[in-house]
Amino acid sequence: MSPPPPPPQWVYDLNSAPASKPKSSSIPDPPGYSAALSSKQLSKSSKTAGTVRKAPTTEEMDVLKMKKAWELAIAPAKQLPMNAIGMYMTGNTLQIFSMFMVFSLFKTPVMAVLALQRVFAPFETPGTSGRLIGVKVVYVLMNMLMLGLGIWKVNQMGLLPTTRSDWLAWEGERTWSERAVPREWL
Amino acid sequence: MRLHARALALAASLVLPCAAIFEDDAYHIDYHHALAGLPKRDTTFFQQPFPGSKASLIYTLSQKQILAAVNPKDGAIVWRQSLSGPPGTGMLRSGEEQDTVISAAGNSIAAWSAADGRLVWENTMGGATAEDLELLEQEDGMANADSKDAVVLLSGSSPEVQRLDGKTGRAKWTYTDSSGDTPFQLSTSPTTIFYISLHTPMLGGSKIKVTSLSPITGKKLDQYTLSSEGEVQSREHILFTGANTAAPLLAWTDKLNKVLKVNIIGTKGVSTFAPPSNEPVQEIVLHASNRVTSLPHFLVEWQTATGHSADVFHVDLKKATIAKAYSLPVLAGKGTFTTTSSDANVYFTRVTPDEISVVSSSSHGILGRWPVKAQSSLAAAHPVHGVSEVVVKSGSASAVRSAILYSNGQFALIRNGELAWERPEFLADAVSAAWAELPEEETLAHELEVEGHSNIISAYIHRVKRHIRDLEYFPAWLQSIPNRLLGNLFGNSQDDTIGDIQRDTFGFHKLVVVATSSGRMAGLDVGSKGKAVWNIDLDQVAPDVAFTRPSLKTAHGYIEVKDRGFEGTLFINSTTGALISSKDIEAHEPSLSEAQRLIAFDLVDGELKGFLGAELTLDPVWTFTPPNGEKIIGFTPRPIKDPVASIGKVLGDRRVLYKYINPNLVLVTAALESTRTASFYLLDSSSGQLLHAISHHDVDVTRPIPSTISENWFSYSLTIDSAADSTSRGYQLVVAELFESAIPDDRGPLGASENSSTLQPSSAMGDVAMPYVLSQTYHIVEEISHMTVTQTKQGITTRELLVTLPSSNAIVGIPRSIIDPRRPVGRDPTALEASEGLTKYTPFIFIDPKWHLNHKYEVMGIEGVITSESGLESTSLVFAFGLDVFGTRVAPSFAFDVLGKGFNKIQMLLTVVALFVGVLFVAPLVRRKQINALWTI
Repeated sequence: MSPPPPPPQWVYDLNSAPASKPKSSSIPDPPGYSAALSSKQLSKSSKTAGTVRKAPTTEEMDVLKMKKAWELAIAPAKQLPMNAIGMYMTGNTLQIFSMFMVFSLFKTPVMAVLALQRVFAPFETPGTSGRLIGVKVVYVLMNMLMLGLGIWKVNQMGLLPTTRSDWLAWEGERTWSERAVPREWL
Repeated sequence: MRLHARALALAASLVLPCAAIFEDDAYHIDYHHALAGLPKRDTTFFQQPFPGSKASLIYTLSQKQILAAVNPKDGAIVWRQSLSGPPGTGMLRSGEEQDTVISAAGNSIAAWSAADGRLVWENTMGGATAEDLELLEQEDGMANADSKDAVVLLSGSSPEVQRLDGKTGRAKWTYTDSSGDTPFQLSTSPTTIFYISLHTPMLGGSKIKVTSLSPITGKKLDQYTLSSEGEVQSREHILFTGANTAAPLLAWTDKLNKVLKVNIIGTKGVSTFAPPSNEPVQEIVLHASNRVTSLPHFLVEWQTATGHSADVFHVDLKKATIAKAYSLPVLAGKGTFTTTSSDANVYFTRVTPDEISVVSSSSHGILGRWPVKAQSSLAAAHPVHGVSEVVVKSGSASAVRSAILYSNGQFALIRNGELAWERPEFLADAVSAAWAELPEEETLAHELEVEGHSNIISAYIHRVKRHIRDLEYFPAWLQSIPNRLLGNLFGNSQDDTIGDIQRDTFGFHKLVVVATSSGRMAGLDVGSKGKAVWNIDLDQVAPDVAFTRPSLKTAHGYIEVKDRGFEGTLFINSTTGALISSKDIEAHEPSLSEAQRLIAFDLVDGELKGFLGAELTLDPVWTFTPPNGEKIIGFTPRPIKDPVASIGKVLGDRRVLYKYINPNLVLVTAALESTRTASFYLLDSSSGQLLHAISHHDVDVTRPIPSTISENWFSYSLTIDSAADSTSRGYQLVVAELFESAIPDDRGPLGASENSSTLQPSSAMGDVAMPYVLSQTYHIVEEISHMTVTQTKQGITTRELLVTLPSSNAIVGIPRSIIDPRRPVGRDPTALEASEGLTKYTPFIFIDPKWHLNHKYEVMGIEGVITSESGLESTSLVFAFGLDVFGTRVAPSFAFDVLGKGFNKIQMLLTVVALFVGVLFVAPLVRRKQINALWTI
């Protein structure tokens, strides 16, 4: 028996990966063709494929969600210093810019508090709902801080009726139980 | 709220530098009657202001001692000078071909440039008083080309006649009469000066003594006495002393005007004439030309109760006799005659209410006759005296103009029978004035009052009925719209077209009722340049009363007139000037609320006393006597209508300093001459409680000490005695402000309680709450004769202190921020104080020319200034009276509630139209774009 004839060229071609595509080539691959992974890549993919991703447990999920929720709750506080500096810099005069800034200072926290349930809806699970209350309280507090900044600013601008002069218009003249006039006026 | 404070502070800081009359407002919002007073018969004449001048001016020295030159074309004053001396005693003379007029008043003889009224020279005669003044027209029979010398008769310890140099006023010679006779008058002839005195023998009556003096040396040439003691009892019986005629005349009559005696001065003969015998003659007036060159003819005017007539006499110089030439017929009613000379001819102009006629002195033929057109302002008035200019061409008078003083106090010029102008000279005697509402506003206020008192439903029905009734004015209102629109658009002020008084939108039309010392009353419409709407004589209304200082008080639709020498009260309709009987008057109680008790106070025997109720009771509730024997010279109560918008003053740190607002405040001024002290006592006039007292030393108490009080502050002005050894001299203005407490945000011992009584202070509150008084003193450059405060409807607008400066003939509005007693002393204001508009205290207030309300007008002799609210909160109406009448509008915080004249209404309308057209074009484009946007993915 004679040794079998060597396999034909196309078999080699089929078994061996084609030479890597020249990097400079601008010719796209034909449709339906997927380039074979390089060995290195292959080995890597085989490794991940080897460690099959295990679905996270609900506890883990809750921890993650709480973390995210805390991040969200603290977020307004992070803006606070910037806002405070901005408010301080604009001065106490009535200008259109400071008016807008003060307006947004009031609007943002109020809108945020109103949208409280919507903001925290993604983190709402049976496991987290109890712990989320604290987060929400902190969130509201942070927004209140923001609002407080706004009130402070409005006060600085003298727009809060906190002094006696603001209520002066509602104070009346005393009525006098006697009226004296010169006789010639009678 | 702080925003408000800041805006106000900003506004205040803006007001400070530029509170002035706007240029386009001047002469539009203000009006000025520059008056001289009633012209006197012998000191009023036409005269050319300089030799060779074609036009002449009317020169007059009035009853009020005002020397004025009036332009006969339009009646405007060319110049005026105020002379000293008691009213009605001045003399004024002018020579032919002279450029000066010479006046004598009191102890001062002065020459004034006739064209511009500048003083040429003045000679003050020490303690002597000028009795008469004449000019030497001719010297030694030759006319004086140069300035003519004056001869003046002085009555001092012994009468003197002085000749004064016409250029310098220095005395050339003096003749002293030591006989003890009463000096009377002077008269000159071309060669002699006659000094006429009255010699009074023991038996009564007066003999007229005539002394001839040499004009060159002043030596006595001759002396003779006329036996006039039968007729002449007092100097009023001497009618005429001919001045500078070729034949100077001396005419006198007896007490009953039964006989007229005429002497040609220099001769001893006396001609006797009898008046027309039909009726008793009330007054005899002689009219003669005062020119040397004119014919020696004169006219005697006989005034009877029902008519007047005249006789013309000719003097025969050679024979020294007087003969009657012709008579002018009796005309019913009153009239007067004027004399005009042209070359040698003398013309007499007869002025009656209906007609002016001119006759020549030589014959009785009438040269010209003009009917006088009836004028509403001169209705029921008759001519009293006047001066005329006549143009005579070829034997007939072609033109005549007569400046006539009418009996209603109007000084009018009648040119060929037409009224050219009139000057309301009677207003120069104004002593008191009051604001009156227009009748429409009165009725509206009355209707509203009715509605206020009834219940809601009937009030509503009443209102609907009223509105239906008002519909009758609707067509007229519709018709007026186009005119008003056009007037508004093109800036034509309506003021020029308003003839009769009517209400305007802004309430600028108001009436001021003025009463004069001569017992005359007039209603002026301040909205149409102070035009006199009516003018009545109180002597006709109440014939047996001599009114000297009528006091006025406005009530609903009428004016109450009272006078010192008059027990009762006159009621005058404020719109028509008609007398209202007291039956038609509804009783008006002073505006008191239910719980208030009325206390009336008055100055009784030098003490200020308060009485319970309106009736005069014997027992006063309180009495105020100033200490140390000081005499009360006046008191200023807070005005009855003095609205206060805010009861506190907001400080820079937004705290409140509460004002001490007490309607019963009265500021009493007391003075002690011996120690030169002036004291001011602030009283609560319901309890007589002394709230505050200030004393000033080294005060010249003979000068006026004006004071005013408003809201929670008062102000007064003093003259510091220049003789005193004081550290400060001059004029001071003191301003004091009252607060409930010195501490901000504190309302004092009364706290927040709503009620207050000073008669019965509640025990819990302790004693009467005393105000905390802040005061500051400022030096000012000029004396203040009168001060008052602007008034607005609600008191929101800052007030302005209006002061009258007599030495600069001005009325000045001092802004309140300048005289704020809270100005920091000795340091710059802090940032908070600066935000209130406070500036550092400076002891001297420079009266800014921009504060002058009268800008270019010269407001002379102001007796008083009254203010009133207008329909606009920003604006206060000001009216000043006295010699002049002046009125204006002031807006101390600017006219914030009305568009200024600079606002371009046409431009605004064009902008609106352009925008509208633009929208019309752009709208389809935008619509198409929006639709396209919807259809594209």
